[in-house]
Amino acid sequence: MKAAFGILGRLMIRPGSALAVLFLTIIALAAIFADLLPLDPFRQNLLHSLEGPSAQYWFGTDELGRDILSRVVYGARTSLLTAAGAVAVAALFGIPIGLIGGFFGGWRDAALMRFVDVLLALPAILFAMALIAVLGRSQVAAFIAVGITGIPAFARIVRAQTLALRKRDFVTAVESFGGSSGYNMFRTILPNAWSPILVQVVVLCSIAILLEAALAFLGVGVAPPTPSWGEMLRTGKSYLYEAPTYALLPGIVLTLTILSFDTIGRALGSLLEDRHDTGTATAGGVTS
Amino acid sequence: MRKRLSGLVKVLSVAAFAALPMTAHAADEALEGGTLRVGILADMTNFDPMQFSSVNFFLIKNLYDSLIEYTAEGEPVPSLATAWEIADDNTSVTVTLRDGVTFASGAPLTAEDVAATLEKASDPEKGKNVYPTTSIIDGWETPDEKTVVITFKSPVPTRQILDLLEFTMPIEKAGIDTVETVPAGTGAYELENRAVGQGVTLTANADYWREGEPVAETVTFTIFSDDASASAALESGSVDLVYGGSARSAKRLGDAGYTVFRGPGPLVQVFRINATHAPFDNAAFRQAFNHLMERDGMLRVAYAGIGEVVALPWAPASPAFDASFNDTYGYDIDKAKALFAESGLSDAEMSDWTLLVNGTDEAAVILSQIVQGSLSEAGIDIELDVRESAEWIEALLGGDFDATFAGIGNVQKFPSRVATNSIYRTVNNPVFGEPHPFPDYVEAIAAVDAAVGSEDEVKAAYDHLNTVLIESAFAIPTNTYDVGIVVASPKLAGFTPEIDNLFVARTIGFK
Repeated sequence: MKAAFGILGRLMIRPGSALAVLFLTIIALAAIFADLLPLDPFRQNLLHSLEGPSAQYWFGTDELGRDILSRVVYGARTSLLTAAGAVAVAALFGIPIGLIGGFFGGWRDAALMRFVDVLLALPAILFAMALIAVLGRSQVAAFIAVGITGIPAFARIVRAQTLALRKRDFVTAVESFGGSSGYNMFRTILPNAWSPILVQVVVLCSIAILLEAALAFLGVGVAPPTPSWGEMLRTGKSYLYEAPTYALLPGIVLTLTILSFDTIGRALGSLLEDRHDTGTATAGGVTS
Repeated sequence: MRKRLSGLVKVLSVAAFAALPMTAHAADEALEGGTLRVGILADMTNFDPMQFSSVNFFLIKNLYDSLIEYTAEGEPVPSLATAWEIADDNTSVTVTLRDGVTFASGAPLTAEDVAATLEKASDPEKGKNVYPTTSIIDGWETPDEKTVVITFKSPVPTRQILDLLEFTMPIEKAGIDTVETVPAGTGAYELENRAVGQGVTLTANADYWREGEPVAETVTFTIFSDDASASAALESGSVDLVYGGSARSAKRLGDAGYTVFRGPGPLVQVFRINATHAPFDNAAFRQAFNHLMERDGMLRVAYAGIGEVVALPWAPASPAFDASFNDTYGYDIDKAKALFAESGLSDAEMSDWTLLVNGTDEAAVILSQIVQGSLSEAGIDIELDVRESAEWIEALLGGDFDATFAGIGNVQKFPSRVATNSIYRTVNNPVFGEPHPFPDYVEAIAAVDAAVGSEDEVKAAYDHLNTVLIESAFAIPTNTYDVGIVVASPKLAGFTPEIDNLFVARTIGFK
């Protein structure tokens, strides 16, 4: 926890990453407290369809007379939940695959990496669309689809870290004292490989949000009336002439969210790289 | 074929017209020819006029002519038939063919061609969309080269006979087997070339029988991938006209000064209910949906206000159309709630279903959300089951849904033609199966088919059908909407209304 706050503190020193953290904090709070919105994002008012910005509706209304601002705020929940779910799915499968492949090597490594190669060869968007066609349109289907496309990246990063750490003294020492393979993988190697994993988590968040928006834009995201930034962009495109500001807010928020995750990911990578260069690997994790 | 009974009595006699009153441009405006460039949104399937699919609507009435045509008000006028005589017992019709009509091949139109066309139409495999219309036919004969006598299995209402003649587009006998790939009609245009997925070019039939038509010597159809691209092409001057675009684009372009031409043959959007299982097997629960449809808002939001709200499955041109039902069964959330309460179902039972949605149909997505919102207001929360088009069609035609929105056609012709739509079928209904769970509806359709007596008798049959439709409530119409809407450059004129909203190019020219 102390290390985490230390990293956060160093992130906040950089103006770019500080802004990104601040923006994502606002988005996260919006997602958490979306139910407290003054205007119901689901409430239709057909008499106020496609209205422009006004005192009552700051960013106008959609085709069903719903408040666009409220729907964008509520859409943060959809995007962040999808991102979190996708990261969980990708990490749940990708990390063990990378650990087992890197730790044991041989045929197990070859088989797992060929499986990962197959996943990598599949275009992410097409694979996700095919999976959603089978599972049906829902938020769970969306994050499973996006999460599966994130497995290869996790598996490769963890495998590379495992290969690098596998013959280090602290690993062979645990083996010499009778430590099992499972203990060594999950209690010795994994804690020492968490830096690139953390960076990958942040990077995958931005990819997951973008992919979820792309799926929604193509009409296979979460089902209406659940607000989604991608779905709002898609619908806004249809009403470009009647309501040119419709897609403005979801577009800006989506762009800034992805940009923020990307900025934090890059900053984290840079920070942890510096930290790795000066740090010491131990069976208990990284210390500096 | 069977010999026609003697004693034919003329109940409708139409004099041979030298010229037709169908054209909208009339003689008050001289139009110039040239090349008419038309934007469309989907490629055709084949050249068979019996493949009466909306993707072929831009071609059919340019390559083929019907025996008769309807005016926008639904009045029959001559076309290839100069006269038709219906027997006083409504068991036969004698059709007199026009002289001087030739097919694209140069061969003259004869009664044998019409007979060959009827034979194809009466074949369940070859008749395609026209086949159901021919179910009333018992046989036909061709006493001479210009006369065809069609006999019916039982007395048939006059309007149904006229529908049959309007739906019959003669195909040259020699070309009937190859008509899917080689058009064989008497139309104002002939096929010059077709580039699959890109477009079709037609050239004027030099021997066309209508004087002064076609106006434009060439018509080029260009396929656009979406409505916005086609509209942009019109605005940039790349095309002169867009056929089959969205109502919203039509509204916008109409406001910008483009000509918007709407035909008399819209479709009707219908909330289809699978009444075979709970909670929709409860009559009061279904009837509540008559009052749950916010039709004005639906029409305005989903179709830019282009169309009419309807509580019955008829377009205004239909003889069964009755606007009074729109008021009686208008949006009233309190009445809907009262009927929900009357149903005796628990909240959980009333919410235990999903609304199937065609995710590729923008209007259906909007309408479904509006109904979902109205239900929520009435205290019933349901989920939308949004599927891709192919998956949705499979569920729709297989009856694998609780409720869904889908359009119906044939709503401006003889009322029993509504039974050609799957949810309204009286036999082989894919949703309800056999026996039909609404015998009153089946009997009401049969009564309409049998109503060949006085005007009052016919009207009584229509009124009864309308009442049964409302009470059965297995399908809740919401509004008409245009298929085949035309948006054109202001420099064009001469648009011809077609009863099914098919595209008629022959009268269109440049001012």
